[in-house]
Amino acid sequence: MTPILELKNISKAFGPVKVLTGVDFDLYAGEVHALMGENGAGKSTMIRIASGDHRADEGEIRLDGEPRRFAGPREAQAEGIAVVHQELLLFPALSVAENVFLGHQPKTAGGFVDWARMRREARELLDRLDCPNLDVDQRVSKLSVADRQRVEIARALSRNARVLIMDEPTAALAEADVRRLLEVIRRLRADGVGIVYVSHRMNEIFEIADRVTVLRDGRSIGTSKVADVTEGSLVSMMVGRDIHQLFPKVDIPRGETRLEVSGLSLAGVIEDISFDLHAGEILGIAGLVGSGRTELAQTIFGVTPATAGEIRVDGAPRRIASVRDAIAAGIAYVPEDRGLHGLVRPQPLRENVSMAILDRLTRYAVVDTGREQRLASEAIERFSIRARDARQRVGQLSGGNQQKVVLAKWLATDPKVLILDEPTRGIDIGAKTEIHRLMGELARKGLAILMISSELPEVLGMSDRILVMREGRLSAIVDRKDATPDSVGAAMMQTRREPAAAGGAR
Amino acid sequence: MTRILIRHEAILGILFAVALFVMAAQSDRFLTTANLLNQARLMTEVGLIAIPMTFVIVTGGIDLSVGSILGLCAILVGVFWQNAGLPLPAAIGLSLLAGTAAGFANGLIITRFRVPPLIATLATLALYRGLAEGISQARSVRGYPEWFAVLGRGEFLGIPTQLWLFALVALAGIFLLRFTAFGRTTYAIGNSEAAAEFSGLPVERTKLLIYTASGFVSALAAIVFVSRVSTTRSDMGNGIELEVITAVVLGGTSIFGGRGMVIGTLIGLCLMQILQNGLSLSGVRGDGTTVVIGAVLIVAVLISNILGRFSND
Repeated sequence: MTPILELKNISKAFGPVKVLTGVDFDLYAGEVHALMGENGAGKSTMIRIASGDHRADEGEIRLDGEPRRFAGPREAQAEGIAVVHQELLLFPALSVAENVFLGHQPKTAGGFVDWARMRREARELLDRLDCPNLDVDQRVSKLSVADRQRVEIARALSRNARVLIMDEPTAALAEADVRRLLEVIRRLRADGVGIVYVSHRMNEIFEIADRVTVLRDGRSIGTSKVADVTEGSLVSMMVGRDIHQLFPKVDIPRGETRLEVSGLSLAGVIEDISFDLHAGEILGIAGLVGSGRTELAQTIFGVTPATAGEIRVDGAPRRIASVRDAIAAGIAYVPEDRGLHGLVRPQPLRENVSMAILDRLTRYAVVDTGREQRLASEAIERFSIRARDARQRVGQLSGGNQQKVVLAKWLATDPKVLILDEPTRGIDIGAKTEIHRLMGELARKGLAILMISSELPEVLGMSDRILVMREGRLSAIVDRKDATPDSVGAAMMQTRREPAAAGGAR
Repeated sequence: MTRILIRHEAILGILFAVALFVMAAQSDRFLTTANLLNQARLMTEVGLIAIPMTFVIVTGGIDLSVGSILGLCAILVGVFWQNAGLPLPAAIGLSLLAGTAAGFANGLIITRFRVPPLIATLATLALYRGLAEGISQARSVRGYPEWFAVLGRGEFLGIPTQLWLFALVALAGIFLLRFTAFGRTTYAIGNSEAAAEFSGLPVERTKLLIYTASGFVSALAAIVFVSRVSTTRSDMGNGIELEVITAVVLGGTSIFGGRGMVIGTLIGLCLMQILQNGLSLSGVRGDGTTVVIGAVLIVAVLISNILGRFSND
């Protein structure tokens, strides 16, 4: 049997950066082939090449054994390759049927849109996806994330997709919706569609996938039948080393309590969260997207002040109603979205580094630019930030260097508690290691660190304890010695286990 | 950031020099001390308001209500003085207070109720003008005492009195925007309000203060205006907001916020004024002048955008 889709020896570079080197991948009809790898391993680029978004520098793409070149995504779509993107690309103001058939609406003989046929066919497609209660005339803006995803899948099917590429489809889904999605995938597989399934979640991979391919640093590390691998072997394939070697975790004796959070709630978002955090400790926060991790951090930091509960810093109760209150209490927050919340990108490095302590740098309202300059030069040196000088705009720096600027900015406030929200997202492996080392260094100096991360290996590798959140609540606090992908993953999803067994018996 | 501004200012400077040269060649009455000082006198009201407007636009906002505040405050001086029988200094003080309150109201609507500045001040543009017309009942107030005219028509050390006031406000503007934490916050808000908020900068307070200052300075301009023409009418300052915004944008302040300097605004202002004056001296009619100013605005912004593309990241 020839595979429907085959990537052979694909290489791709963006400028001097090699993203993919000699990657092989194949997909058969009626199979779910999982694609795994850390952030930055090259998964997205590979998907983009397969779907005609990017062109490979070397190597070839074969469809049904025939070599093909795609000039653009339209050509790939015409050949039956469809992608369901992570950030769903729908038009919120249009109806479900319009979205499904956007760009290839059925026409009447006169050349007008054949609305009756379009609605009927949209209905049929949605029924095939087992969502009979989804109204084809509903505006997409009124739909839940899960329903939008179904619309996107229907859109792919409306083009007679034979290859369906799903990029982290469950990242934003609640438990029940994940189950329904997996059910839909099983049906499509039974219909002979080939599915490329990108996900970080081990449980899903083991439940749905037939084969799995692991990418690391732009190379294919291996392809195996799912039955032949274990969670542990997959993780070590992904990271290349044992987790505890990859993360330079230093053991630091736990100091006194720095932060105590009790009964913290933000109406409708997070509920009744209690934990404590000690000097020298790194407390990881794990949870699915939408489980309330960032919301918890921003509540502690005063962006969205708590509606109930208490926050104590060094034993003293603090009322935190604004960011300024949080800074005054000794709390610093390195946000998830660097470009939007962390930095003012068009402004120079030195103005960014001083931004959180501007009122401490002024004399009679005048900014002491001499001290500011010294602060910036010290930051450049201490964090080895690669910048021309302190006057360079931060928007021109690379992601890793931008993140160091944000860190420098918050460490300048001399905090007691440092909250890091996805501290290494979207930065290269070298800068990542530097930031991890820095975290250890800061903890040794007595800082209490709260780290949110979507990368399970990072959470497992860096944390002394792991706080697991689920649907706005605290689901578990796991000690480092008990923390495994299994135990933490189970707490993230909780109800995942029993239905998985039921699914297997089907 | 500074490099682009220097570029823009350099372009403006060249335009300014060219305009000066052309105007001087057209009419020998143009390049005289008397004419230039008189032009400076005429420019003061627009100039005063352009200083806080620079701050407003640097935050990414806009204040369309300044002309209406000017009209309202002018009327109030007359009403407080003539109809309410207050002493003139008290009438002036109350009028300044009213302008400040009007600006504060703008600021509150924008920061507390999150109404976009364009909409908020478009509404108060109508509201304040309506108040001015309602209060004045289409009557003008005249007969101000001789001493009051000193502000608008007098001189101090050979320089028109209101120019001293303007210089004071302009210097305060330069100082605040360039050297203080307040100015730094103003830029940060314009570049990324969310990041400013997440850095613990006082975003709301800064915006509130800026719109309040805009109201106060508009009232100040009203007093100068009344003193200069020694009469009050409710249509005073009608459309002045457009001249003010033109001067600020011509001066290199980005309408999207985050970029701009008071110095640029001052050059933009001078360029506009000499164009108006020079063209009318050489016999071009008023509508022709407006066309020229529009063209200059487009050319200046275009050139600096093109150059900015090369120097930018």
